[in-house]
This record gives sequence, C-alpha cells and structure tokens, in this order.
Amino acid sequence: MKNFLTLLGLRGRLAAMAIVFGALAIVAGDPYTGAHASVDTRQLALDVFEEKDHTSTEQLAGWIIEGRNDFRLLDVRTEQEYAAYHIPGAELVTIAGLAEYPLRRNEKIVLYSEEGIHAAQAWFLLRAKEFSGTTILRGGLEGWKATILFPRLPDGAGAEEKAAFERKKLVSAFFGGSASVGGTASATPSVEMPKLAMPVPKSPAAQQSGAKKKKEGC
Amino acid sequence: MTAPFFKFGYFSEDIGLVLAIVIGIGFGFFLEQAGFGSGRKLAAQFYFTDMTVLKVMFTAIVTAMLGVFWLGVAGVLDLSLVYVSPTYLWPQIAGGLVLGAGFVIGGYCPGTSCVAVSTGKADALVYLGGILAGIFVFGELFPAIEEFYISSAYGTLTLPEVFHLPYGVVVFAVVVMAIGAFAAAEWGERKMAQKKENKT
Repeated sequence: MKNFLTLLGLRGRLAAMAIVFGALAIVAGDPYTGAHASVDTRQLALDVFEEKDHTSTEQLAGWIIEGRNDFRLLDVRTEQEYAAYHIPGAELVTIAGLAEYPLRRNEKIVLYSEEGIHAAQAWFLLRAKEFSGTTILRGGLEGWKATILFPRLPDGAGAEEKAAFERKKLVSAFFGGSASVGGTASATPSVEMPKLAMPVPKSPAAQQSGAKKKKEGC
Repeated sequence: MTAPFFKFGYFSEDIGLVLAIVIGIGFGFFLEQAGFGSGRKLAAQFYFTDMTVLKVMFTAIVTAMLGVFWLGVAGVLDLSLVYVSPTYLWPQIAGGLVLGAGFVIGGYCPGTSCVAVSTGKADALVYLGGILAGIFVFGELFPAIEEFYISSAYGTLTLPEVFHLPYGVVVFAVVVMAIGAFAAAEWGERKMAQKKENKT
C-alpha cells in the first residue's frame, strides 16, 4: 500500500483523495440540514422569560402606520380566516409551509394567529431554525381587535386613560375600526368586522417576487 | 459556530469588507501563482496548447465542492444560506458568449485582468479600461435590454434538482468528470507539443 502511494506522486495522491471523498459522498446523505434543527433551550427560555419573544399590538400598529417595511408580518391561520380579515401587510403562511417560505434569518418577523397558540408553535419552529428576529404578536388577532380595532374606554376612567384613549381612537380609525366608550368588555365579540380597504405599506414579499436581482455573488 | 459566519451575524458588514479585501488578495495571489497573470497563457487555453486554465478551474471546483459538501454533511455549514445565483438562461448564455469573446481577444477575464494589472502588465491595464467602458455602455443601454436581461428566469437551480439525483451522486460524477478532463487535457497537451516539434 505504501509503495503504491509513493508511486502515485503528489498529484496522483490528491486525485485519489478526491475520488475517495467523492465516492463516499454518494452514501453520505443530504448536505442540507433539511428538517432537522437543534435548539438552545436555555436561550429560548431566557427570551421567553424576559418577554423578548413578543411584539405588542401597539408597536405593530405604529410600524404599519409609519409605513415601515423592515419587518415581515406572518399570518399562520387558515386561508378562510385570512380572507375574512387580516392585519394590513400580513402574509398568509401555513405552519407546514413555514420551512419552505422565503424568509431570511436576519429579518424581523412577527407572527400572529387567532389567539396565539399557533403563532407560538411557529415561533418555536422558526427559532429552532435560527430565525432569531422572530416574535409573536401579543394577544394574537383577538388582542389586535381588542386594543387596536375596537378599543373601549371603561366607565370611570381617569384623565390619563382618557388622553390615551383619544390616541387609540385615531389609530383605530386608521385601521378602519371603531372606538367605543363604556359598557362591558363582554360585548366586544359581537362587533362586526369592518370590510377594510387596507392602507397597505409595500410588502417585502411583493418586492421579492419582482424580477429584481439580488446584489450578491460575482 | 455555524457557517456562513456573516449570515449568522457573527461579524458586521464593516468587518465583512475588511475580510473581503483579505480574501480577495489571497484569491489574486493564487491566480497569479497559477500563471493567470499572463494573457498569453490564458489565451493559449483557447488554442489547446496550454490547458492550465481548465486544470486550475477543475481543481478549484472539486476542492470547493468537496469542502462545501462535507462541511454541510458535518453540520458546520448551512448550505441553505449559501448564495446561489439565479438562472436567467438565455441572457446568461448571451453574456457568457460576450465574455468568452472578450477573453479570447483580450487574453484576460475580468478577475485575471486585475491580477495582471497588479503585476504591472500594460495590456491588462488597457483591458481594465475596456471593462470600465463596457460597464458604462451597458449601464446606458440597460433600459433597452432590460426585458431580455430578466427573461427566461428559472430561479436558483442546482444540478441535483435539475437531474433529480441525490447530492452525493452529483458530487461523485463531477469528481470523475474533473479527473477525466485532467487526463484528457494532459494527453492533448502532449499531442500538441509533438505536433509543434514535428513542424520545427
């Protein structure tokens, strides 16, 4: 064996090495990590504990009003629910389709579902895949309705609360909702969703699907 | 730590630019060492008298491919984050022909012309001027050719996807192809050298 190797010379040995590694590649499997991921459980737990995993509805509303497009808003509900109403600029993604969905790991991603369970599950899947800028919309779509679309000023509110409510009224009007004064919170769910003409900021997905070439590579 | 380091945010864009210079100098150095700083040597490839370009290219391809594949399998490199240029079939064929014609005429490709300029070759300096002029003309013409420029877009394609083969099989096939090309190139070089001797 040793004689054989010295006979080959340096170039022959390099060629032999390439063939060996190339042949082993056939049985080595897929180089893409595919569906498998590993999770830093301590980091995830810490992020949840410090509430870094949430975006508040007020924050999100602010971003949309400002017309910011440096974040992706993902709706992980069903198609019917999405068609009935979705937050302006939201993209419909199923949890099963999340792995193939064109997202970048350095993007700020906000997830929401009806109440938050599906969003939380999607959050975990994305975090496991190192999408570290992923957050959940606090309260889900229910929270969005309660705080942004249909804010309610409780009876006997203080002056400060009233001042804040004036601002909420404007925000609510922007998104086509309506604010109301007094009454009990239990009356809220009966409110009909308005048919919204959405003040959509340019969505990043729409930009991507265009024929614009990426400025990368040589 | 998982590669690519920049995509995972291990360093900033500024550091990335510094690293780009370091890697670029390394790249240029090895091109020069391979003899790619000479227009004669590069042009000889097209007359099949000196197959160095083919050999260096195939060596680079096989080395990089095996490295990327095995690092991916080992989980050190996340291949889904490695940039693959999207395919625009016809514009890229046209572009390849234009670049090839320039290569034969001028004796350099864009990268090697920079290498040759760094060693003070006058022809390379002229070539570089041509590149800059070409970029300018292209920019000015762009509105007229934009439609063609973005036509026949196939997105990012890889050989395993196109041929519906496992990655490992494609890797092995490329290695075999490279070694075959290597052997054929050396055989061709000997033949050409003999011809030359017979003539003189």
